[in-house]
Amino acid sequence: MASEFEAYRGLFVAESRENHENLVKNLLILEKGPDQNAIDEIFRSVHTLKGASASMGYAEMERLCHAMEDVFQLVRSGSAEVSEDLGNLLLACSDVLEEMIDDIEGGGDSSSKNADDQVFALKDWLGQRGKVTEAKKAPAKGKKKEMTPPDAPAGNGETPAGSMPEYTMVITVSPECAMKDVRAMLAIGNLEALGTIRSMTPSKEQVDEGNFDGVLNLTIASDAGENALKTAAQGTEIASVEIRPAHGVAPEEKSPAAAPRKPAEADRKPGAADKSREIKNLRVDIAQLDHIMNLVEDLVINRGRLKQIAEQHKIKEMDEAIGMVERSVSELQNLMMLIRMIPLNHIFNRLPRVVRDVAQYDGKEVEFVMEGGETELDRSVMDGLNDPLLHLIRNAVNHGIEAPDIREKAGKPRKGFVKLSAHRDRDNVIIELIDDGAGINIEKVKRKAVEKGLVTQDAVDTYTIDQAIDLLFQPGFSTADKITDISGRGVGLDVVKRSIEALKGTIRVETTPGKGSRFELLLPPTMAIVDIMIVRVNGRRLGIPISSIVEVANYEREGTHTIGKGEAVLLRDEVLQLLWLTDMVGASDVCEILIVVQYQKRKCCIPVDLVEGKQEVVVKPLSSFIGNTRGVSGVTILGDGEVIPVLDVNTM
Amino acid sequence: MGKILIVDDTLFMRTLLKNILFSGGHTIVGEAGDGEEAVAKYQELKPDLVTMDVVMPKQNGIEALKAIKALDPAARVVMCTAVGQEQMVKLAIKSGAKGYIVKPFQAPKVLEEVKNVLAA
Repeated sequence: MASEFEAYRGLFVAESRENHENLVKNLLILEKGPDQNAIDEIFRSVHTLKGASASMGYAEMERLCHAMEDVFQLVRSGSAEVSEDLGNLLLACSDVLEEMIDDIEGGGDSSSKNADDQVFALKDWLGQRGKVTEAKKAPAKGKKKEMTPPDAPAGNGETPAGSMPEYTMVITVSPECAMKDVRAMLAIGNLEALGTIRSMTPSKEQVDEGNFDGVLNLTIASDAGENALKTAAQGTEIASVEIRPAHGVAPEEKSPAAAPRKPAEADRKPGAADKSREIKNLRVDIAQLDHIMNLVEDLVINRGRLKQIAEQHKIKEMDEAIGMVERSVSELQNLMMLIRMIPLNHIFNRLPRVVRDVAQYDGKEVEFVMEGGETELDRSVMDGLNDPLLHLIRNAVNHGIEAPDIREKAGKPRKGFVKLSAHRDRDNVIIELIDDGAGINIEKVKRKAVEKGLVTQDAVDTYTIDQAIDLLFQPGFSTADKITDISGRGVGLDVVKRSIEALKGTIRVETTPGKGSRFELLLPPTMAIVDIMIVRVNGRRLGIPISSIVEVANYEREGTHTIGKGEAVLLRDEVLQLLWLTDMVGASDVCEILIVVQYQKRKCCIPVDLVEGKQEVVVKPLSSFIGNTRGVSGVTILGDGEVIPVLDVNTM
Repeated sequence: MGKILIVDDTLFMRTLLKNILFSGGHTIVGEAGDGEEAVAKYQELKPDLVTMDVVMPKQNGIEALKAIKALDPAARVVMCTAVGQEQMVKLAIKSGAKGYIVKPFQAPKVLEEVKNVLAA
């Protein structure tokens, strides 16, 4: 069955993720207090997930959704409240759901994820709850019966039923029918339109309450005729309809043509229906988008090539034509960038849940605020941002925010405050994570670093606060006294830093003891296309991202000073370290130009032979085959076909 | 064969149903993602039949059904429902729904119900 639905898998996964996200979001809202809208939203999401998974034949997922829906049906009707325990249970269920969606995305059918525990727990909860609701329901039922007596007696309507012929009918609903009682109601409704039902077993009330085994016996007074009545009772999933005159009285059979079953058709206007609908939004597979991006990148490369050919051969017309192509390509590029942008909410939305879990685990109280989730970032940057951000948030709650009692003693509110915000600063996106916790204990950091052998005691004594904070980002450093489930998983801030650097971003920390910490991530809006300066050293060409260059200056050999093992120059009253690229391209003795680059607050300069120019290029990452190459972010193909490395100043 | 308006809050379900109905030779004249849109589209498109999901944002299927019935007492509305929603469907039928189909949809059953409701 699943194979015929294979085409819908992508759509299923995409919408299921949205529903899952909505589910979690609203469960968290409910934790803060009752909210009817959140309850309705949860019910709708779970219900939709159930229907969709059933349609696709993902039985295990359907089973779980069904159990969740049963629980929420009660919550929605007001017979139950979402306690903390139930909230936790439902969140656990939503985790399993997410795993199932992952599994389905990977080609599975959710059956590899077992939801027995969750379904059992939900059923168990329903079992306890069931008794209470039954008790609540019972009086309501009684009241209903008083108001409308079952088996409405005949002849109380306006129809002069007395003179009409009567028939007995036996209507059998097909055994495969999913809702036999509903089918019966439809048949009853159709028959009532033709006559008056004198008696019926089971009664209409019973059918309404679901007490129906599939066979309906009734007596109806009608002058519509046998055939019309039979047709009215027949329908989808009706296995058989038997009809015969009641009391042995033979009624005069009316001609079928006279059957007065004609719904008003007059007001239906044909024609207006074929109006075409305008589709404003499309869902596009991300793989296709990546492919288009690759093609645009190829275009950019070849545009550079064409430009070079035109320059070489000095063909004016071609130059002009290329100018036009260039404009289109630039626009295409910008458009592609825009299309690839997605709001940060994409990953932000998951974080309240993380904060909640960590806080609960640690017994801390945290108020978590998010701002600027609508800020957009390139999808490729977003992908790499998720894990580092998760780690930083966990850290903030786990290490930053103190336990409520400690906070109280320190004269702070019991509830800690963590704020995540994002905003755009010129081309870059800045993400800020602030907590009002204990701050980073600089002395402890220094002590740990010495203990771990990362640095000597003598050296550490001369460290500034910034340098000490930098130690946090050293591989193998972790200040947590013991490894916790939540944040200490053997990966430290060094991994965070490396991940951010891999995105061409930077990370900065500020901390005030007792007042809290502030982590700032600065990210480029996109990684794919960058402006580089092409330089030549020892006959080899290299690219340096324009964004990290602050100045280009003349280099005079005489001005070089040797400081320790390194060399430095004095430029505009600043001592700048020289960074020779000898290791990379070999020694050059004709270096006349200095490229001053900056990373965060540190500047240094790279001596080069000459500057060839500036170009917008596509940087392709090095394959994992080559391994981790600090100092090189990737390679690019220039217009003449030469492949050159692009330097990564951040990691040099 | 009829002109049909599909009402469901998920693109997934709408696509599924659309393909089933299309395979039965019906024309899909429109789609709506919530109750309010359904009522507006009904007025605009005057379809022969509406498939109506029950659980939807803004205005649920029952409310939309009532609104459509108020506009056009002869409207043919088939409820899309799931096991466990019997009470909802009964309410819908009392409010004038002409039929129902059960998720997960089985193409022959959907087509049979639509055919029967169109013929009635």
